Amino acid sequence: MSRPPPPEHFQGKAVADHLKDARMKGAQASTETHGPQLPGPIAALLSCIKEISAAFLILYAILAALIPNEPLLFPLFACFGLGLIIWETGRSAIRGWGKLERLHRVIEEERWEIEHHREQEKEELTEMYAAKGFEGKLLEEVINVLMADDNRLLRVMLEEELGLSLEVYEHPLKQATGAFFGSLIASSCLLLSLFFWPILGLPITAILLIGIASFRSAKLEKRRQIYSMVWNIALLIFASSATYFLAKALS
Amino acid sequence: MRSDVHPYIFDEFFASGREETISPFLTPSSRKWGKNLPLKSAIIAAILLALSFGLFFFHKEASYLCLSSVYFLVGTPALLNSIEDLRNMEINIDVLMTLAALLSIIIGSGLEGALLLVLFELSGAMENMVTEKTKGALYSLRKLSPKTALVVETDGTFVERAINEVEIGAPILVKAGEVVPLDGTVISGSSFVNLVHLTGESEPIAKRVEDTVQAGAYNLDGTLTLKVDRAASESTLSRIITLITQAQGAKPKLQRLFDKFGKRYSVTIILLSLFFALTFPYFFSIPFFGIEGSVYRALTFLIAASPCALIIATPTAYLSAISSCARKGVLLKGGVILDALASCSIIALDKTGTLTSGKLTCVEVAGIHNAQLPTQTALAIAAGLETHAVHPISEAILTQAAKQNVLPSEITDFKSVPGYGLQGNATIDGTSYPVFIGHPDFIAQQLDPALWMEKIGPWKTLNTFLLIGTSLYIFHFEDEIRKESFAALSSLQNEKNMKPVILTGDHTENAHVVADTLNIKTIYPNLRPEDKLKKVGELSKEGGLIMVGDGVNDAPALARATVGISMGKIGSATAVDASDVVFLHDDLSLLPWLIDKSRKTLRIVKENLALALAVICFATTPALLGYIPLWLAVILHEGGTVIVGLNSLRLLATDS
Repeated sequence: MSRPPPPEHFQGKAVADHLKDARMKGAQASTETHGPQLPGPIAALLSCIKEISAAFLILYAILAALIPNEPLLFPLFACFGLGLIIWETGRSAIRGWGKLERLHRVIEEERWEIEHHREQEKEELTEMYAAKGFEGKLLEEVINVLMADDNRLLRVMLEEELGLSLEVYEHPLKQATGAFFGSLIASSCLLLSLFFWPILGLPITAILLIGIASFRSAKLEKRRQIYSMVWNIALLIFASSATYFLAKALS
Repeated sequence: MRSDVHPYIFDEFFASGREETISPFLTPSSRKWGKNLPLKSAIIAAILLALSFGLFFFHKEASYLCLSSVYFLVGTPALLNSIEDLRNMEINIDVLMTLAALLSIIIGSGLEGALLLVLFELSGAMENMVTEKTKGALYSLRKLSPKTALVVETDGTFVERAINEVEIGAPILVKAGEVVPLDGTVISGSSFVNLVHLTGESEPIAKRVEDTVQAGAYNLDGTLTLKVDRAASESTLSRIITLITQAQGAKPKLQRLFDKFGKRYSVTIILLSLFFALTFPYFFSIPFFGIEGSVYRALTFLIAASPCALIIATPTAYLSAISSCARKGVLLKGGVILDALASCSIIALDKTGTLTSGKLTCVEVAGIHNAQLPTQTALAIAAGLETHAVHPISEAILTQAAKQNVLPSEITDFKSVPGYGLQGNATIDGTSYPVFIGHPDFIAQQLDPALWMEKIGPWKTLNTFLLIGTSLYIFHFEDEIRKESFAALSSLQNEKNMKPVILTGDHTENAHVVADTLNIKTIYPNLRPEDKLKKVGELSKEGGLIMVGDGVNDAPALARATVGISMGKIGSATAVDASDVVFLHDDLSLLPWLIDKSRKTLRIVKENLALALAVICFATTPALLGYIPLWLAVILHEGGTVIVGLNSLRLLATDS
């Protein structure tokens, strides 16, 4: 390409580098910071089970260290559970809407680019399809076909330049419903175990819940299940025991 | 495997202002989760508020738990809106309501504050539901307008290009059944095109070499090659889109007046409250704090002056009237339309599809030269030929034949000449005759010029000709006037004192026939979309104007008129979107009923506003002077709200 690209579009970078930046931008828009890696209500449910179990066990460890001879208060954990259920549900919805807002901004920006920087978009498209092995007359024809329809072009740029997927994300409220049920299940199980088996019920249930949730999450994300389960349980035990000993030391 | 994304979804998404209910990123099944969210949250908050009120007398903590949920659900959006307004340096009713509701917590009246917020959110959500219209109009037009054109390259190959990349002068190919993408001149081929949604003319128009064709026209039968005359941004459809945008911008908005009033009202009330809180101790020797304190009185004044009844005075009346109209098959896009309707004194009606049914009817078959065969035979042959065609004239001839129990004749060697007509051979009493039907020019080719001038020349519109050997027949068509037009127009002129006028893209002769039949004195024929818009602008200066129409060509005028009314069944999607009122059953007899309903609505809105203002005046001043305690001010305030709501419900009746 003989003509130098305007700085506002490529910002002085080569087309290939610009495409890498675009992919990064797409990845940033489609992920949830510190949220479940996979979108959807099931992932949110499993994530909440893990987080609620961890929070309960850490609080249990602190109380066990600071007031060892006092009976652990069931109402305290019940209130704590309600607060966590509301928090986790709301946060899940907020994270989902945040992601959606970022995605919508990206699509709006891309449409603007298509409308105002057609030549540069054509260069990007040419670079992408040349990398796929198209060349000569065929490459020219493919680019012409794609450039003919702005709707089609927008879809191609979203999917291939930014690496985004269409029609795969669940509505934030649907995701939050998963989070709600995850929090509710975890809180209920932990409270019941505390009620019926005050000394060891809660730690054992927390470990069981986090183990099951980690196993299912890993399966959903197509990772090694046993590996993930063991690491999560180990991390929980480490976090709660560290909290316990620090609280003991400080008291 | 995920489903395929239709290309149009992006247009719809952007036209909607990035609505999450049609977000291209969400799975189709989960999009419905985002539908009417403000309304859903307001309803849940209302239930929680009722629960909180019930629990208040038995278990205060449980009541507060429910109350905190109410504040979260409706208080957070109200707070966000208020912050947004304040960032834009705007102090309006939103800010006042939020401030009053939040301050009510401080003086221990959280329930009243929550009630204000719930009612406020409910009215806002309902208003949103009925006023979302302008985005759709442009979307429909863009949907009608093709995005690509098939450009004929110099080597004879065809390349599909985006219409905004096609240069002026480039040749483009338009096949049968396609919509013309750009304005152009025919350089080869011939065809009939249908312009009914662009110009209102129901008759198919023949297009041949050197004829111009507008973007948006529907190519019926042949293939046309056009030389592009205008860039995409200046095509007929683009101009209509621009016209609609301008018209919508110029449209009078009663809501703006209300907002303007609300802004001043809110600023005044907030400043007054602040003033009273700070100065009363100096004037009346009362403390700042405590139940007799100036801060308490100022807050009571602020809550009493919160325009709750004022806010629901108009939407509840409008919603009741809207609901009543919906049961009659009249869809109103927003309550303020009723206000505007009541102020109108002129009614402009499109002819084709509005006063008439828009469907051609064959009213006469007559022999005009050497007609030896009976007209029944001519009809049978015409029906035999038209069986193979698809345009409105074919439909009218086939309907007429069926009505007269005439069976279509068998036609051999059938041939369609796009843009001209149909031809073939028909056998009558054992003799085969060449037969032709179609455009006068097509028939003229089969006759000598003198005969053509004498027999066909005088006939202008809504006719087609049939030639059987040397026998010439004429088929005359009419666009049938709707039966209900007579009573509706009579009632509008005599009982509602409205002045009817006809605005049409059709010829003067056709317009006069309809106007004379319906006793309409003023007609404006041969109007293009921009002429209609201009005429509507001129007429609007004389008084409020209702425009009734159905075609894309009516859309700018519908949007510009004080009130635009479209026909739901026959009307184009664009006209329906650009209008304020849709008659779902295309029933014109509802026009007088609607005018009545709008006038009654205006009367009730005025009663409501007077009552709401009276309650505010009655409650605020004594509250400020310390004569009315907070609980009584709240009861007066909410009591006024209930009475206003009940008064509005009177509009639910459908038999006004």
